[in-house]
Amino acid sequence: MAISIKDLTPGFAGEVSGIDITQPLTPAQVAELEAGMDRYGVLVYHDQRFTDEQQKAFSLNFGPLEHTAGGNVTKAADRRLDPHMADVSNLGVDHKPLGRDDRRRLFNLGNQLWHSDSSFRAIPAKYSLLSGRIVVDQGGNTEFADMRAAYDALDARTKAEIEDLICEHSLIYSRGTLGFTELSEDEKRMFTPVRQRLVRTHPVTGRKSLYLSSHIGTIVGWPMPEARAFIRDLTEHATQKQFTYSHKWRQYDLVMWDNRVTMHRVRRFDESQVRDMRRTTVAGDSVTVEQLAA
Amino acid sequence: MSKPNDQRLGSVEMADISNLTASGNLRERDDNRRMYALGNRLWHSDASFRATGAIYSLLSARVVPVSGGDTEFADMRAAYDALDDRTKGEIEDLVTEHSIAFSRAQLGFAEYGPGNEDKIRPVRHRLVRTHPVTGRKSLYLSAHIGSIVGWPVPEARAFIRDLTEHATQAPFTYVHKWRVNDLVMWDNRTTMHRARAFRDLEEVCDLRRTTIKGTGLTAEQVPALAAE
Repeated sequence: MAISIKDLTPGFAGEVSGIDITQPLTPAQVAELEAGMDRYGVLVYHDQRFTDEQQKAFSLNFGPLEHTAGGNVTKAADRRLDPHMADVSNLGVDHKPLGRDDRRRLFNLGNQLWHSDSSFRAIPAKYSLLSGRIVVDQGGNTEFADMRAAYDALDARTKAEIEDLICEHSLIYSRGTLGFTELSEDEKRMFTPVRQRLVRTHPVTGRKSLYLSSHIGTIVGWPMPEARAFIRDLTEHATQKQFTYSHKWRQYDLVMWDNRVTMHRVRRFDESQVRDMRRTTVAGDSVTVEQLAA
Repeated sequence: MSKPNDQRLGSVEMADISNLTASGNLRERDDNRRMYALGNRLWHSDASFRATGAIYSLLSARVVPVSGGDTEFADMRAAYDALDDRTKGEIEDLVTEHSIAFSRAQLGFAEYGPGNEDKIRPVRHRLVRTHPVTGRKSLYLSAHIGSIVGWPVPEARAFIRDLTEHATQAPFTYVHKWRVNDLVMWDNRTTMHRARAFRDLEEVCDLRRTTIKGTGLTAEQVPALAAE
């Protein structure tokens, strides 16, 4: 059976059928899926009953995996999953929903802000692959926004204004937005801001996109309040309905997206319900801009 | 939060919504008052950081920029009506904490200086309020909200963001493009508003606001905390 991809939204989110991605793939199949990622940005596969090992094996087709260290405040002993699996569930090691005041839960609420995964790393992520192992029936959608279309829709003056702007990204900023400010010295060090271009160019398609993320705290050379007000306006522009796709999860969906051309966020759901989502992340291969010397 | 000597308009009852210094020049990029005024670009209800809030605001346009600088309004009655029943039930008795410090912190502004403690002390408001004349319910939202009483702060903020996004969708909003000598008045009990960006380092925008003080509380205050 041949791979086919149908539009969920025109040119942005595609639904893939005709392939079992839990099994080893041929180089031709991988190339076809990667070409699909370049064309769309978000691909959805249904009924993929992954184990963690199978999810990692599928992800490795697209590059080396990113290590999850440095991306959260969960201590090693409290981790449910191995260090290449990002635990995007609302569960503790006992597989029960985290308590309302649990620090990990409050930190993870930051996923409700529009962001691009690992934009707080000097070399940010290429793809994210999210597997819905246990999903909730109300709420908990993941929404995606097309940063290429959002860039294209800017007026010429704004495009020129932002062309060479550089932003500083850190988990400190996104969490600060929600009033999560109590970080240990180790955490603050771990979350030291990194620099990213605001306009980036996709290495394969050559298309420009807005590199936005809730992790942005300022623009280099700008007064911080002006930078933040401007980034808010750009984010509002970039997340308008016509640029977005809302994914309602079915169990065993696998959704993969290219963080270089998208933002995403999760919507609120009843957190007394179990929601077990597991993410693998394909590492990027380059910085978007020179970093400051440490 | 400008000091008396920095005030351009003679009367303390005229709120200066311009980008000018006391001597009438454009504010510099790093001017602290400019940083503070950027908070007006967040959706808010005037004076919701006061225990009694405000009734009407009346904004007069004396000089307007060539492009940008619109003021947008959102109808908090229509936004309330459009909520599903479960959400209405969930929020009916919620009480929020408002402070000018919360809205400014969203933009990374924290320079208040001494003597302003009273102005940044949080006050409490109901999230759902009822108009005293029409009896209609509305969402009392504002960028000044920093928490919901009894909720963990990040959960409260994420929820308030969702409600704000809902309440400011295009069907609930009006965009006002200013002409010189327009006066726009609005009821802060049933609306939010915000200013949009303009080339404020190059063009003058001189708007002047009078504000009708609120008369009642929407929620009981914590005695030691309430600012007048």
